[in-house]
Amino acid sequence: MIFQRPVPKIAEENNEPEVSERSHQHVQDEVETVVGPSVNVEGDFASEGNIVVKGTVSGSVFTSKHLTVEMGAKIFANVRAGSATIAGEVRGSMKIKESLELVSTSRVVGDIDVKNLKIESGALIYGKITMPGIEVGEKSVKTKTFRKAEDAAPQFAG
Amino acid sequence: MYVYIYDNFLRQKNFLSTIHSMEVILTDYGIAGKILRLQNYTDSKAVIEDEIKRGAKTIVIVGNDATFGQILSRSATCDCAFGFLPVGPNNTIAEVLGIPVGVPACTVLSRRRKEFLDVGWMNNRYFVSQLRVMPAKLEVIYDERFKVTAVDKMEVIVCNLQPFFWKRDKKDREQRVVHPQDGKLEAFIRPLTKSGWWGYNYEEPSIFPFEEMIITGKEPFAVEADGKLSKEIKVKIKLAHSKVEMIVGRDRKF
Repeated sequence: MIFQRPVPKIAEENNEPEVSERSHQHVQDEVETVVGPSVNVEGDFASEGNIVVKGTVSGSVFTSKHLTVEMGAKIFANVRAGSATIAGEVRGSMKIKESLELVSTSRVVGDIDVKNLKIESGALIYGKITMPGIEVGEKSVKTKTFRKAEDAAPQFAG
Repeated sequence: MYVYIYDNFLRQKNFLSTIHSMEVILTDYGIAGKILRLQNYTDSKAVIEDEIKRGAKTIVIVGNDATFGQILSRSATCDCAFGFLPVGPNNTIAEVLGIPVGVPACTVLSRRRKEFLDVGWMNNRYFVSQLRVMPAKLEVIYDERFKVTAVDKMEVIVCNLQPFFWKRDKKDREQRVVHPQDGKLEAFIRPLTKSGWWGYNYEEPSIFPFEEMIITGKEPFAVEADGKLSKEIKVKIKLAHSKVEMIVGRDRKF
């Protein structure tokens, strides 16, 4: 359902409608994509709006807006999002543009690239965390890297 | 020239006074026109094309959601503007279009505020209001990018103009609504899980906005589009942009 500027109708009946150029100019919508708890999604899962994951997703996840992974949800995929709140399990690298919040029930196995990070006590992370905005040593590296020692326990709490 | 297509149920006595008042107001506005009555086996497309040849510029649908779906699913490609005068119960589309139910709709029609509406396209026909795939073992592929499956059966509802009302379970008192969004179709997937010997329970739903979707099943499954039921093994659903020129109200939801 939509309204647009007037365009003459040229499509014939029973001809498969062509996807117009307009379809690629995605409307700035507040559409929420919800993956229910008993649903499996496989492939390149992308959305223009917010995504809420309550089930299982494998492949890759992309949204320019907010991603919420609820408790019990599993993501076996590389994640790219504007911001995210994780309460479930993520296996794969995460590239978050703005802020990432890891709730106490979250489990993340994979590298994280984020601007602002908030970790609640009890959250489990195994991977490299990279944050822009800091220079280390003589090299003009614009990132600060936390690398977990091999003998250290794979858990950062607090 | 205006042509009015009345649904058959408007012959009932309780609608006569409304219809009469509407006809009086339409005459006052100078937009009265030919009246046709929709029967069960009327091919609305043939009728409308016939009227267009005779000079009709605006086809006005008089009835409810079912009438609207029945006419537009066949005649979406007709080269004319459509109007809608909602009468009686089951008028959810009218609210989306910003058209009040009953006599005040005539004022909206006379103002001729026109918008182009998108319609859904399913296999080889259009649907305007809603498409429903009855519970079956299905696999859904969205925009050729990702696949959605469930453990057991699932039900798929695709909303275009008609909002979808649902409840979490039988005890749920709050009625939830899925409102159609602009520029996209809205797919609402409800998986079912077995409960006891015979029963099935609806699981929490998933919602995916999309432009193209392919539903496949190992066995034929029932599909209801604009009230018309058919059996399919594969359904391709697309969004067809700017198909219908529609007279809408100021308070429309898009």
